[in-house]
Amino acid sequence: MNDGRIARRRVVITGCGAVSALGNSAGELYRALCENRCAVRRMAEYEAEFGRALPGAPVSLEPSSVRAIPRRQRRGMGDAALYAAIAGQEAYRQAHLETVDLADGRSGCAVSSTMGSAKSIYEGVEMLLDGRREEIPAMQFFRCAAHSAALNLANLFGMTGVTAAPCSACASGLQSIASAFEMIAFGRQDLMLAGGCDELTPAVAGSFVQLFALADPDSRQDAAELSRPFDAARTGLVCGAGAGIVVLEEYEHARRRGAEMIAEVLGCAVNTGGAHVGQSDAASIARCMGLALRDAGITARDVDYAAAHATATVAGDREEAAALREVFGAGVPVAGLKGHLGHTLGASGALELTALCEMFRHDILLFTRNLTDPAPECRGLDHVTEPRPMKVRTLLKTAVAFGGINVALVLRNLG
Amino acid sequence: MTDEKLKEIINAVFVEQFELDPAELTPEKEIFTDLGLDSLDIVDLVIALQRKFGIPLRQNEELRKIVTLGDVYTVFLHLAEENPELAAKIAGE
Repeated sequence: MNDGRIARRRVVITGCGAVSALGNSAGELYRALCENRCAVRRMAEYEAEFGRALPGAPVSLEPSSVRAIPRRQRRGMGDAALYAAIAGQEAYRQAHLETVDLADGRSGCAVSSTMGSAKSIYEGVEMLLDGRREEIPAMQFFRCAAHSAALNLANLFGMTGVTAAPCSACASGLQSIASAFEMIAFGRQDLMLAGGCDELTPAVAGSFVQLFALADPDSRQDAAELSRPFDAARTGLVCGAGAGIVVLEEYEHARRRGAEMIAEVLGCAVNTGGAHVGQSDAASIARCMGLALRDAGITARDVDYAAAHATATVAGDREEAAALREVFGAGVPVAGLKGHLGHTLGASGALELTALCEMFRHDILLFTRNLTDPAPECRGLDHVTEPRPMKVRTLLKTAVAFGGINVALVLRNLG
Repeated sequence: MTDEKLKEIINAVFVEQFELDPAELTPEKEIFTDLGLDSLDIVDLVIALQRKFGIPLRQNEELRKIVTLGDVYTVFLHLAEENPELAAKIAGE
């Protein structure tokens, strides 16, 4: 390399898989997003605990797809890991990984979530507090462990390379993909399953209520209008669930086995605001985007589409919009998917990336739902609010998390 | 209480916990090699049986030595003989 960067290998995406509240495949998810469908509803089942039906965007799985995972592999999976496993199976099929020896020590797994299965942790603690310690199943730990998704996927697919689980709340999935990219780019692995997953539980939704960050729980508004990224009427996020898994592969490895290459990961960056545990800030988000562009060897002018994190919180969207303005001005279409899907927490960056990979195959931009009146502090951007015909060659995806952690990834369309 | 009733209850635990086909559950089947359980599953089997029959089992010596499904039946037949309350519970299931 003659530009001072460390020599590294090219990394491509050869498969995607998704489990989401709008469909349990990347294709279904993409179509639902294009049709402007919304997964947010009132969770009547939360009424007993909260006294009101909080909004949420839950996943539902076909029993047959659950059973398709052998019991021996499934028993250590809480819900989040199960979503990751099913999404992983779709990615595996898309990438035709039956032609790869995943036990060669050169294939690994970087998958993460906010924590281990929140539901399993809750169940375990309940049993402890009830004095039923001796009834806790043997497999409970494996469901509760922070790296539950990673350990389960590595064992499901028989992968003997690196297993990693960078857990960073809402940046988990995208950070896992960034980590996997680096492992391949710098020669440690040739292939990685990477992504994120998370569950929707009363405890997690309740924690956002405590922080006044959940979209107005007492609102009588139609649930489908509650999650409003960048909008003047936004009141907070809606929790969702799901998983997004991609197959990342070294370019020559993919080419030699004739794998279809969906996209190339040109570069990435991870950084931290370093000032506030609860929030990131425009300056560090902008710096992260800039670092990712430099890592990719491109400038802001080369980007056709900015896929925002945009959780619909008042502060978060304000800071991210300021960062986007600084980096791109009004020259790049910007959109976020949380108006449709809610905030899928650890899954979000990765799950949304699978929809963006589908967008690469079609010439129509994904748009921000419920953005009818951009807030003054979120203006000055080219907001995409309905399907727009346009071919995307290069996109930037961001994720921003508690801890002030920012992740940005640059993808090039190879379709 | 009939032996058959006891076997039905035990078989139901195996089916529910380990997603086994009821047709596979015959007494001579070895728990590890034929029914495909491993050491982690055995922990969960004991917990499930504990919950089903309402008696502590973790320190039960006989249970630690089981090899076949028939051995599990035998353990509980012995327990029911020694414990009339357990026998009544089984009969009432």
